[in-house]
Amino acid sequence: MKHFIAGLVLFALPLSAQVADQATPPAPAAPRQPHIPSAVEKTLANGLRVIVVEKKNVPLVSARLMIGTGAAADAAGHAGLADMTASLLTKGTTTKSAEEIARGVEALGASLDSSASFDSSNVDLNVMSPRLAEAMAFLADVVRHPTFRKDEIDRYRAETLDALEVELHEPRELSGFVLSRVVFGETPYGHNLSGTPQSIRKITREDVVKFHRRYYRPDNAVLVMAGEIKSADAFALAQKLLGGWKGAGPKPAAPKPAALPLKPRVVVIDMPEAGQAAVSVARVGLRRADPAYFAAQVANAVLGGGYSSRLNEEVRIKRGLSYGAGSGFDFRRDAGPFSAGAQTKNESAAEVAGLIADEMNRMAAEPVSDAELTPRKATLIGDYARSIETSQGLVRRLSSLALYGLPLSDVSSYITAVQAIDAAQVQAVAKSHLAGAADVIIVGDAKKFLEPLKARFKDVEVIPYAELDLNTASLKKK
Amino acid sequence: MRVRALLIVLFLTSVALSAATVNTLTIPPIDYKHRTLANGLELYSIEDHSTPTVAIQVWYRVGSKNDPEGRSGFAHLFEHIMFKSTKHMKAEMMDRLTEDVGGENNANTGDDYTKYFEVIPSNYLETLLWAEGERLGALTVDDAAFKSERDVVKEEFRFRVLSPPYGRFYYDIDKDTFAVHPYKRPGIGSIEDLDAATIADVQQFHATYYRPDNAVLIIAGDFDPAQMNAWVDKYLGVIANPGTPIPRVTAKEPPRADAKRFDEHAPNVPLPAVCINWLTSSASSEDAEALNVAAAILGRGESSRMYRTMVYRDKIAQEVEADADLREDLGVFDVVTTLASGHTVEEAIKAAMREVESMEKIAPAAAEVEKAKNQLITDELRRRETNQGKATALGTSIVIEHDAAAVNSDLTRLQAVTAADVQRVMQKYIAGSKPYTITYSAEGGAK
Repeated sequence: MKHFIAGLVLFALPLSAQVADQATPPAPAAPRQPHIPSAVEKTLANGLRVIVVEKKNVPLVSARLMIGTGAAADAAGHAGLADMTASLLTKGTTTKSAEEIARGVEALGASLDSSASFDSSNVDLNVMSPRLAEAMAFLADVVRHPTFRKDEIDRYRAETLDALEVELHEPRELSGFVLSRVVFGETPYGHNLSGTPQSIRKITREDVVKFHRRYYRPDNAVLVMAGEIKSADAFALAQKLLGGWKGAGPKPAAPKPAALPLKPRVVVIDMPEAGQAAVSVARVGLRRADPAYFAAQVANAVLGGGYSSRLNEEVRIKRGLSYGAGSGFDFRRDAGPFSAGAQTKNESAAEVAGLIADEMNRMAAEPVSDAELTPRKATLIGDYARSIETSQGLVRRLSSLALYGLPLSDVSSYITAVQAIDAAQVQAVAKSHLAGAADVIIVGDAKKFLEPLKARFKDVEVIPYAELDLNTASLKKK
Repeated sequence: MRVRALLIVLFLTSVALSAATVNTLTIPPIDYKHRTLANGLELYSIEDHSTPTVAIQVWYRVGSKNDPEGRSGFAHLFEHIMFKSTKHMKAEMMDRLTEDVGGENNANTGDDYTKYFEVIPSNYLETLLWAEGERLGALTVDDAAFKSERDVVKEEFRFRVLSPPYGRFYYDIDKDTFAVHPYKRPGIGSIEDLDAATIADVQQFHATYYRPDNAVLIIAGDFDPAQMNAWVDKYLGVIANPGTPIPRVTAKEPPRADAKRFDEHAPNVPLPAVCINWLTSSASSEDAEALNVAAAILGRGESSRMYRTMVYRDKIAQEVEADADLREDLGVFDVVTTLASGHTVEEAIKAAMREVESMEKIAPAAAEVEKAKNQLITDELRRRETNQGKATALGTSIVIEHDAAAVNSDLTRLQAVTAADVQRVMQKYIAGSKPYTITYSAEGGAK
């Protein structure tokens, strides 16, 4: 707060209140350890892995059927295929129309949502526990027997084109699309997950049917359930509904790691109508299974994870330049992106980009003191504990462990693993993954920040909004 | 005629479904304790030891509707200032006491209330009760911190209103919806009104509204009741009230004389959007649950009426929603839709009105009512998975409905809603009043 101390005047508020005048906060009592429920698992004869956590307090169950393949498997020019395939599952099966599925699921008060991530395709169910068996029957049916009717594909295409039209006008969304291309070029994480207007027009029913046939198979799938259910009942339900599921042909091989990083770029998408600039600094991060995973998590907690991280301190709290600044690693099967960013008025976009780059470098230049490290680790642990408070949160954590081949017991050893990280490990991961060359992406009204941006960063590429092409690494229409 | 055919199909399905769905659900009630301290502070507590955490919420009965004249957005700006210094706390010390020990904190400003909360490891309960006492009883603020935070709020305005393609649409809706009631002013304010705010306003606002007899404290989670009660008395029970009365909003929104249309425009609008709304009862009305069921039947999920006809069948819209937005003083029933490309706002208005009117004319099928109730009950169950969610449910009943017991009785009432109830509230509030239509499209004509 040094920045603002000069000339500081304190006004005590004119209160008639009589306050318990205790100058220091009361010390905490002895801590209690959280109880983290443990998972049990079983693999069915067809190769489907089933993971269950019994968790009682509310009569709800969350379930996820996860396919171990996602948008990273989209072929060149077919961005959005995995997501289209997943989204169409609920739009009709051999025995039920899209409307019958929607009506049947919603009549139970349940939600059944399907979509792809880069590494997986997921069907998520949330339902009150007395209705679980009925709702699971819908889940199993949409995974095993989707029909991908042509009229449903046409409908999806039209809806997705409209949704993209909206997202492409939102500086924050658009900067995310551009960021993927800048960091990953034309490698498997480089495209937009939900596609581009061009790729969505190009994908055929045949592509979708093939994708489903190839990847949706029990030996490439995991079912995770958590909530008010007995594990024996969950296994029996899985056997009944999914035990007869079979895949065809050999199991698909895992993709090869991409050759990265690419040459760093500074890219401005000039959008004169933008009411605020979206600023990001990005680079290639780490694999989820990387041994430095916990060190990277702690480093990010210091840099940009949470309100009191360095980025929010510098950008929002000290300077009032944004409603919030932050950063994060997206850990994937192969190294996913690291990105740091904030939205700010167009005039301060260059200043914010510079502040973010400076803070990334400072992480490597000097070790983090214990006085800073201890609370940031506590923040990370607290966020983690809250994230597994709900059935759905537990399902997400467990399915991620399963996807990346990590032991399920990590769900309870996370806290001790974070506590064990020291300043030297944080500095080491900052040197390899935060400091130095990085990409800068700004979507905003370029004339308001281009001059100071060029003063700070070399080789700034300005791409007018009308000339943007998300289908190529160059980002420019030919 | 198509509407009638649709209803028959639904009715037949309902017979088939109800035979299969014999399971019933018992919802565990929220078991809360209540006492009023001598200084008027209301204390509610919910004991639950399943995780070693506790949620603390302080609800002040002051919201955006209480923004001073010419200071729209002030209640929200003030909320930000509450994280700055107090007599014994430096700015951002709330973060030291929460985030730094694995907890979290935040606040939000609604039309009718401002809510501050912390979720913390339960061994920090006493520490945070002290801190809440500090900012209720001894808030201080310096000019530099005030101005810097005001800049943050201006960025929040740009983030919420100027940057998203539909930010200005939601900003315009309340302004057009209300004629008299201060609900018409945007809670986020305007850049001009935020610039006009001063430190003197902050002091005045705190003195006027931030007082024990205008606050509700809710503690949910892992605590020892005797200890918790003693700490609340020690840190919050000793704070005195000023002798002045608490000003309340008394403005009454008059019934609408005529239907009206507002055409709003903004830059960077990819596809036009439409909101049609009606004035309804407040959240405490006994019609609230039936209005929520009606909204769910119209617009909740892919089997809802508006989705099926406007999105799925006719492809006029890419998104539809219907909502009973019931506030403390009155409510708004609204249907909102974003158009599909190639369609006009006139088509969307006609299609939405057709669905709304059919709900007035014909009672929904029993299966539709059952579905909507199951959806709303499941939402409520999901909310009740956490201490924070339970505290929020209780606080909403206390502050918006003026009845703590409603946190449980509303669910009972929801389960009892019938198709006839749904039709009755549609006739009473929707057929019986005038719609306002707000359209939103790109400057220089719709694309």
